Amino acid sequence: MEVTLRVFRYNPEAGRTKPSYDSWTLQDVDPTDRVLDLLEHVKGYHDGTLSFRRSCAHGVCGSDAMRINGRNYLACKVLVRDLNSTTITVEPILGLKVLKDLIVDMEPFFESYRSVMPYMVSDEVPADGKERLQSIEQRERFDDTTKCILCAACTTSCPSFWGDGKYVGPATIVNAHRFIFDSRDQAAGERLEILNEQQGVWRCRTAFNCTEACPREIHITQAIAEVKHAITSGNVD
Amino acid sequence: MTTLIASLRTTLSGYIKYRGREGHYSFLLHRITGLGTLLFLAIHIVDTATVYWMPELYDHAIAIYRLPPFLLGEIGLVFCVIYHGVNGLRIIYQDMVKPSSWTIHTQRRAARWTLALSILFWLPAAFVMFRTLLAHL
Repeated sequence: MEVTLRVFRYNPEAGRTKPSYDSWTLQDVDPTDRVLDLLEHVKGYHDGTLSFRRSCAHGVCGSDAMRINGRNYLACKVLVRDLNSTTITVEPILGLKVLKDLIVDMEPFFESYRSVMPYMVSDEVPADGKERLQSIEQRERFDDTTKCILCAACTTSCPSFWGDGKYVGPATIVNAHRFIFDSRDQAAGERLEILNEQQGVWRCRTAFNCTEACPREIHITQAIAEVKHAITSGNVD
Repeated sequence: MTTLIASLRTTLSGYIKYRGREGHYSFLLHRITGLGTLLFLAIHIVDTATVYWMPELYDHAIAIYRLPPFLLGEIGLVFCVIYHGVNGLRIIYQDMVKPSSWTIHTQRRAARWTLALSILFWLPAAFVMFRTLLAHL
Protein backbone atom coordinates (compact mmCIF):
# COMPACT_ATOMS: atom_id res chain seq x y z
CA MET A 1 0.00 0.00 0.00
CA GLU A 2 0.96 3.65 -0.45
CA VAL A 3 1.26 5.83 2.63
CA THR A 4 1.86 9.56 2.97
CA LEU A 5 4.03 10.23 6.01
CA ARG A 6 3.74 13.79 7.33
CA VAL A 7 6.29 14.67 9.99
CA PHE A 8 6.68 17.72 12.24
CA ARG A 9 10.02 19.45 11.64
CA TYR A 10 11.84 21.99 13.79
CA ASN A 11 15.58 22.59 13.82
CA PRO A 12 16.68 26.06 14.92
CA GLU A 13 20.39 25.16 14.44
CA ALA A 14 19.77 24.56 10.73
CA GLY A 15 17.57 27.61 10.25
CA ARG A 16 14.22 25.83 10.59
CA THR A 17 13.13 28.13 13.38
CA LYS A 18 9.44 27.89 12.61
CA PRO A 19 7.71 24.56 13.10
CA SER A 20 6.57 23.04 9.80
CA TYR A 21 5.71 19.69 8.28
CA ASP A 22 7.51 17.58 5.65
CA SER A 23 5.72 14.87 3.69
CA TRP A 24 6.96 11.74 1.95
CA THR A 25 4.94 9.33 -0.13
CA LEU A 26 6.11 5.82 0.68
CA GLN A 27 5.43 2.89 -1.66
CA ASP A 28 5.09 -0.79 -0.79
CA VAL A 29 4.26 -0.21 2.84
CA ASP A 30 3.09 -3.37 4.54
CA PRO A 31 0.02 -2.91 6.79
CA THR A 32 1.96 -4.70 9.52
CA ASP A 33 4.85 -2.24 9.32
CA ARG A 34 5.26 -0.10 12.40
CA VAL A 35 5.34 3.69 12.26
CA LEU A 36 8.92 3.46 13.52
CA ASP A 37 9.78 1.43 10.38
CA LEU A 38 8.45 4.27 8.22
CA LEU A 39 10.47 6.86 10.14
CA GLU A 40 13.60 4.71 9.86
CA HIS A 41 12.97 4.35 6.11
CA VAL A 42 12.68 8.13 5.66
CA LYS A 43 15.80 8.74 7.73
CA GLY A 44 17.75 6.08 5.84
CA TYR A 45 16.65 6.80 2.27
CA HIS A 46 15.09 10.28 2.05
CA ASP A 47 16.29 12.70 4.71
CA GLY A 48 19.10 11.82 7.12
CA THR A 49 18.49 14.98 9.15
CA LEU A 50 15.16 13.72 10.47
CA SER A 51 15.58 13.32 14.23
CA PHE A 52 13.67 11.13 16.64
CA ARG A 53 14.43 8.95 19.66
CA ARG A 54 14.45 5.18 19.52
CA SER A 55 16.42 2.56 21.34
CA CYS A 56 15.14 -0.97 21.77
CA ALA A 57 12.38 -0.59 19.15
CA HIS A 58 10.33 -3.28 20.90
CA GLY A 59 8.14 -1.37 23.34
CA VAL A 60 10.39 -1.81 26.35
CA CYS A 61 12.70 1.20 26.61
CA GLY A 62 9.99 3.86 26.18
CA SER A 63 12.09 6.16 23.98
CA ASP A 64 9.79 6.70 21.03
CA ALA A 65 6.54 8.08 22.42
CA MET A 66 5.06 10.37 19.75
CA ARG A 67 1.76 11.89 18.74
CA ILE A 68 0.65 9.79 15.78
CA ASN A 69 -2.50 10.87 13.97
CA GLY A 70 -3.35 13.04 16.94
CA ARG A 71 -2.85 10.67 19.87
CA ASN A 72 0.07 9.32 21.85
CA TYR A 73 1.59 5.97 20.90
CA LEU A 74 4.97 4.28 20.96
CA ALA A 75 6.10 4.42 17.31
CA CYS A 76 7.59 0.93 17.70
CA LYS A 77 4.29 -0.59 18.83
CA VAL A 78 1.69 0.96 16.53
CA LEU A 79 1.12 -0.76 13.20
CA VAL A 80 0.13 1.10 10.03
CA ARG A 81 -3.07 -0.95 9.78
CA ASP A 82 -4.09 0.08 13.33
CA LEU A 83 -4.30 3.72 12.23
CA ASN A 84 -6.93 3.10 9.52
CA SER A 85 -5.51 5.86 7.34
CA THR A 86 -3.16 6.20 4.39
CA THR A 87 -1.94 9.55 5.69
CA ILE A 88 0.06 9.35 8.91
CA THR A 89 0.96 12.52 10.77
CA VAL A 90 3.73 12.27 13.35
CA GLU A 91 4.29 15.05 15.88
CA PRO A 92 6.25 15.39 19.13
CA ILE A 93 4.45 14.70 22.42
CA LEU A 94 2.70 17.76 23.85
CA GLY A 95 3.66 19.84 26.87
CA LEU A 96 7.45 19.35 26.78
CA LYS A 97 9.78 21.72 24.95
CA VAL A 98 10.64 20.58 21.43
CA LEU A 99 14.42 20.48 20.91
CA LYS A 100 14.57 19.15 17.35
CA ASP A 101 11.95 17.52 15.10
CA LEU A 102 10.34 14.79 17.24
CA ILE A 103 12.77 15.11 20.16
CA VAL A 104 11.53 16.87 23.29
CA ASP A 105 13.31 17.90 26.47
CA MET A 106 12.42 15.10 28.90
CA GLU A 107 14.23 16.64 31.88
CA PRO A 108 11.13 18.26 33.50
CA PHE A 109 9.40 14.87 33.23
CA PHE A 110 12.26 13.04 34.99
CA GLU A 111 12.63 15.83 37.55
CA SER A 112 9.00 15.30 38.51
CA TYR A 113 9.57 11.52 38.61
CA ARG A 114 12.51 11.94 41.00
CA SER A 115 10.45 14.17 43.31
CA VAL A 116 8.43 11.22 44.69
CA MET A 117 11.45 9.12 45.68
CA PRO A 118 10.98 6.29 43.16
CA TYR A 119 13.08 3.80 45.12
CA MET A 120 12.48 1.61 48.13
CA VAL A 121 13.05 3.21 51.52
CA SER A 122 13.46 0.87 54.48
CA ASP A 123 15.70 0.98 57.53
CA GLU A 124 14.34 -2.29 58.87
CA VAL A 125 16.73 -5.22 58.99
CA PRO A 126 14.99 -8.34 57.56
CA ALA A 127 14.22 -11.05 60.10
CA ASP A 128 16.69 -13.45 58.52
CA GLY A 129 19.16 -10.67 57.77
CA LYS A 130 18.86 -11.34 54.03
CA GLU A 131 15.41 -10.97 52.44
CA ARG A 132 12.29 -8.85 52.92
CA LEU A 133 9.55 -11.41 52.39
CA GLN A 134 6.22 -10.58 50.83
CA SER A 135 3.04 -12.61 50.26
CA ILE A 136 1.60 -13.09 46.77
CA GLU A 137 -1.31 -10.79 47.71
CA GLN A 138 1.06 -8.06 48.97
CA ARG A 139 3.02 -8.23 45.70
CA GLU A 140 -0.15 -8.16 43.61
CA ARG A 141 -1.28 -4.95 45.28
CA PHE A 142 1.14 -2.86 43.19
CA ASP A 143 1.85 -5.27 40.34
CA ASP A 144 0.14 -3.13 37.68
CA THR A 145 2.19 -0.02 38.38
CA THR A 146 5.52 -1.86 38.17
CA LYS A 147 4.99 -2.06 34.40
CA CYS A 148 5.73 1.64 33.70
CA ILE A 149 8.55 2.27 31.20
CA LEU A 150 8.63 6.07 31.66
CA CYS A 151 7.80 6.83 28.03
CA ALA A 152 5.74 9.92 29.03
CA ALA A 153 2.85 8.97 26.72
CA CYS A 154 0.45 9.32 29.66
CA THR A 155 1.77 12.56 31.12
CA THR A 156 1.86 14.33 27.76
CA SER A 157 -1.71 13.28 26.93
CA CYS A 158 -3.01 14.86 30.14
CA PRO A 159 -4.96 18.15 29.78
CA SER A 160 -3.91 19.20 33.30
CA PHE A 161 -0.23 18.78 32.32
CA TRP A 162 -0.74 20.79 29.10
CA GLY A 163 -2.18 23.59 31.23
CA ASP A 164 0.56 23.53 33.85
CA GLY A 165 3.85 21.71 33.29
CA LYS A 166 4.51 21.81 37.04
CA TYR A 167 1.75 19.26 37.67
CA VAL A 168 3.56 16.04 38.61
CA GLY A 169 1.59 14.12 35.99
CA PRO A 170 0.25 10.57 35.73
CA ALA A 171 3.61 8.80 35.25
CA THR A 172 5.00 10.23 38.49
CA ILE A 173 1.89 9.21 40.41
CA VAL A 174 2.04 5.71 38.92
CA ASN A 175 5.65 5.35 40.07
CA ALA A 176 4.79 6.70 43.51
CA HIS A 177 1.90 4.20 43.69
CA ARG A 178 4.36 1.39 42.98
CA PHE A 179 6.18 2.15 46.26
CA ILE A 180 3.32 3.55 48.36
CA PHE A 181 1.49 0.21 48.25
CA ASP A 182 4.64 -1.93 48.59
CA SER A 183 4.46 -3.60 52.03
CA ARG A 184 8.29 -3.48 52.34
CA ASP A 185 8.54 0.28 51.87
CA GLN A 186 8.47 2.74 54.78
CA ALA A 187 8.21 6.13 53.06
CA ALA A 188 4.57 6.04 51.93
CA GLY A 189 3.70 8.93 54.25
CA GLU A 190 6.34 11.21 52.72
CA ARG A 191 5.25 10.38 49.18
CA LEU A 192 1.59 10.97 50.03
CA GLU A 193 2.53 14.33 51.52
CA ILE A 194 4.27 15.33 48.29
CA LEU A 195 1.33 14.19 46.19
CA ASN A 196 -1.14 16.03 48.44
CA GLU A 197 0.44 19.35 47.50
CA GLN A 198 -0.96 21.83 44.99
CA GLN A 199 0.74 20.18 41.99
CA GLY A 200 -0.09 16.68 43.16
CA VAL A 201 -2.89 14.18 42.58
CA TRP A 202 -5.73 16.68 43.02
CA ARG A 203 -4.86 18.24 39.66
CA CYS A 204 -6.10 15.05 37.99
CA ARG A 205 -9.39 15.81 36.23
CA THR A 206 -10.02 12.17 35.27
CA ALA A 207 -9.93 12.95 31.52
CA PHE A 208 -8.69 9.35 31.12
CA ASN A 209 -6.34 10.16 28.20
CA CYS A 210 -3.46 8.70 30.24
CA THR A 211 -5.03 5.25 30.56
CA GLU A 212 -6.00 5.25 26.88
CA ALA A 213 -2.46 6.25 25.84
CA CYS A 214 -0.46 3.89 28.05
CA PRO A 215 1.39 1.37 25.85
CA ARG A 216 1.73 -0.94 28.86
CA GLU A 217 -2.02 -0.91 29.58
CA ILE A 218 -1.56 0.27 33.15
CA HIS A 219 -4.81 1.31 34.87
CA ILE A 220 -3.41 4.78 35.50
CA THR A 221 -6.60 6.64 36.47
CA GLN A 222 -7.39 3.84 38.93
CA ALA A 223 -3.90 4.11 40.44
CA ILE A 224 -4.34 7.88 40.81
CA ALA A 225 -7.73 7.35 42.49
CA GLU A 226 -6.14 4.84 44.88
CA VAL A 227 -3.47 7.39 45.82
CA LYS A 228 -6.24 9.97 46.43
CA HIS A 229 -7.95 7.45 48.72
CA ALA A 230 -4.70 6.76 50.56
CA ILE A 231 -4.25 10.51 51.13
CA THR A 232 -7.78 11.02 52.48
CA SER A 233 -7.93 7.82 54.55
CA GLY A 234 -4.25 7.41 55.51
CA ASN A 235 -4.65 3.74 54.61
CA VAL A 236 -2.07 2.16 52.28
CA ASP A 237 -3.17 -1.47 52.50
CA MET B 1 4.03 36.22 30.08
CA THR B 2 5.66 34.29 27.19
CA THR B 3 5.41 31.09 29.25
CA LEU B 4 1.75 31.77 29.96
CA ILE B 5 0.98 32.28 26.26
CA ALA B 6 2.96 29.16 25.31
CA SER B 7 1.10 27.16 27.96
CA LEU B 8 -2.27 28.50 26.76
CA ARG B 9 -1.36 27.62 23.17
CA THR B 10 -0.36 24.06 24.19
CA THR B 11 -3.54 23.64 26.22
CA LEU B 12 -5.88 24.83 23.47
CA SER B 13 -3.98 22.89 20.83
CA GLY B 14 -4.29 19.75 22.97
CA TYR B 15 -7.98 20.32 23.72
CA ILE B 16 -8.81 20.73 20.03
CA LYS B 17 -6.30 18.54 18.21
CA TYR B 18 -5.67 15.63 20.57
CA ARG B 19 -7.62 12.62 19.33
CA GLY B 20 -8.76 11.27 22.65
CA ARG B 21 -11.64 8.94 23.21
CA GLU B 22 -14.84 9.35 25.26
CA GLY B 23 -12.89 10.54 28.32
CA HIS B 24 -11.28 13.41 26.44
CA TYR B 25 -14.58 14.63 25.01
CA SER B 26 -16.50 14.24 28.27
CA PHE B 27 -13.69 16.23 29.97
CA LEU B 28 -14.09 18.98 27.35
CA LEU B 29 -17.89 18.97 27.62
CA HIS B 30 -17.61 19.10 31.41
CA ARG B 31 -15.35 22.16 31.11
CA ILE B 32 -17.54 23.92 28.54
CA THR B 33 -20.78 23.25 30.43
CA GLY B 34 -19.12 24.37 33.68
CA LEU B 35 -17.86 27.59 32.13
CA GLY B 36 -21.25 28.18 30.47
CA THR B 37 -23.06 27.82 33.79
CA LEU B 38 -20.49 30.01 35.55
CA LEU B 39 -20.87 32.73 32.90
CA PHE B 40 -24.65 32.69 33.29
CA LEU B 41 -24.42 32.79 37.10
CA ALA B 42 -22.03 35.75 36.96
CA ILE B 43 -24.33 37.71 34.64
CA HIS B 44 -27.38 36.68 36.66
CA ILE B 45 -25.86 37.89 39.94
CA VAL B 46 -25.04 41.26 38.34
CA ASP B 47 -28.49 41.73 36.79
CA THR B 48 -30.28 40.68 39.98
CA ALA B 49 -28.16 43.14 41.96
CA THR B 50 -29.45 46.00 39.78
CA VAL B 51 -32.95 45.59 41.29
CA TYR B 52 -31.66 47.40 44.42
CA TRP B 53 -29.85 50.34 42.91
CA MET B 54 -31.37 50.75 39.43
CA PRO B 55 -34.80 49.02 39.15
CA GLU B 56 -35.43 50.32 35.61
CA LEU B 57 -32.21 48.63 34.47
CA TYR B 58 -33.38 45.40 36.09
CA ASP B 59 -36.70 45.55 34.15
CA HIS B 60 -34.70 46.17 30.99
CA ALA B 61 -32.48 43.12 31.72
CA ILE B 62 -35.54 40.92 32.27
CA ALA B 63 -37.00 42.18 28.98
CA ILE B 64 -33.76 41.18 27.23
CA TYR B 65 -34.00 37.68 28.73
CA ARG B 66 -37.37 37.29 27.00
CA LEU B 67 -35.87 37.82 23.56
CA PRO B 68 -35.71 34.66 21.42
CA PRO B 69 -31.87 34.39 21.31
CA PHE B 70 -31.79 34.45 25.13
CA LEU B 71 -34.63 31.94 25.40
CA LEU B 72 -32.64 29.69 23.06
CA GLY B 73 -29.57 30.25 25.24
CA GLU B 74 -31.59 29.22 28.31
CA ILE B 75 -32.40 25.89 26.67
CA GLY B 76 -28.65 25.41 26.24
CA LEU B 77 -28.07 26.51 29.82
CA VAL B 78 -30.39 23.79 31.12
CA PHE B 79 -28.32 21.22 29.20
CA CYS B 80 -25.13 22.68 30.69
CA VAL B 81 -26.44 22.34 34.24
CA ILE B 82 -27.81 18.82 33.71
CA TYR B 83 -24.71 17.46 31.95
CA HIS B 84 -22.31 19.07 34.42
CA GLY B 85 -24.30 17.62 37.32
CA VAL B 86 -24.72 14.09 35.94
CA ASN B 87 -21.11 13.87 34.75
CA GLY B 88 -19.93 15.22 38.11
CA LEU B 89 -21.82 12.44 39.88
CA ARG B 90 -20.24 9.87 37.52
CA ILE B 91 -16.75 11.16 38.31
CA ILE B 92 -17.42 11.20 42.07
CA TYR B 93 -18.73 7.63 41.91
CA GLN B 94 -15.84 6.29 39.82
CA ASP B 95 -13.12 8.21 41.61
CA MET B 96 -14.23 8.15 45.23
CA VAL B 97 -16.53 5.11 45.51
CA LYS B 98 -15.32 2.57 42.95
CA PRO B 99 -11.81 3.28 41.57
CA SER B 100 -11.71 -0.24 40.08
CA SER B 101 -14.28 1.00 37.52
CA TRP B 102 -11.57 3.12 35.85
CA THR B 103 -11.03 0.52 33.15
CA ILE B 104 -11.12 1.43 29.46
CA HIS B 105 -14.28 -0.56 28.77
CA THR B 106 -16.26 0.68 31.80
CA GLN B 107 -15.14 4.27 31.47
CA ARG B 108 -16.08 4.50 27.78
CA ARG B 109 -19.49 2.99 28.49
CA ALA B 110 -20.05 5.23 31.54
CA ALA B 111 -19.16 8.37 29.55
CA ARG B 112 -21.63 7.41 26.78
CA TRP B 113 -24.38 6.62 29.30
CA THR B 114 -23.79 9.93 31.04
CA LEU B 115 -24.36 11.83 27.81
CA ALA B 116 -27.44 9.74 26.95
CA LEU B 117 -28.96 10.24 30.42
CA SER B 118 -28.26 13.97 30.34
CA ILE B 119 -30.01 14.32 26.98
CA LEU B 120 -32.92 12.23 28.31
CA PHE B 121 -33.31 14.52 31.35
CA TRP B 122 -32.90 17.62 29.22
CA LEU B 123 -35.40 16.82 26.45
CA PRO B 124 -38.66 17.36 28.45
CA ALA B 125 -37.39 20.71 29.77
CA ALA B 126 -36.15 21.69 26.31
CA PHE B 127 -39.57 20.81 24.84
CA VAL B 128 -41.46 23.03 27.31
CA MET B 129 -38.96 25.88 26.91
CA PHE B 130 -39.03 25.62 23.14
CA ARG B 131 -42.82 25.96 23.21
CA THR B 132 -42.42 29.17 25.23
CA LEU B 133 -39.85 30.36 22.70
CA LEU B 134 -42.28 29.77 19.82
CA ALA B 135 -44.96 31.72 21.71
CA HIS B 136 -42.58 34.71 21.87
CA LEU B 137 -41.90 34.76 18.13
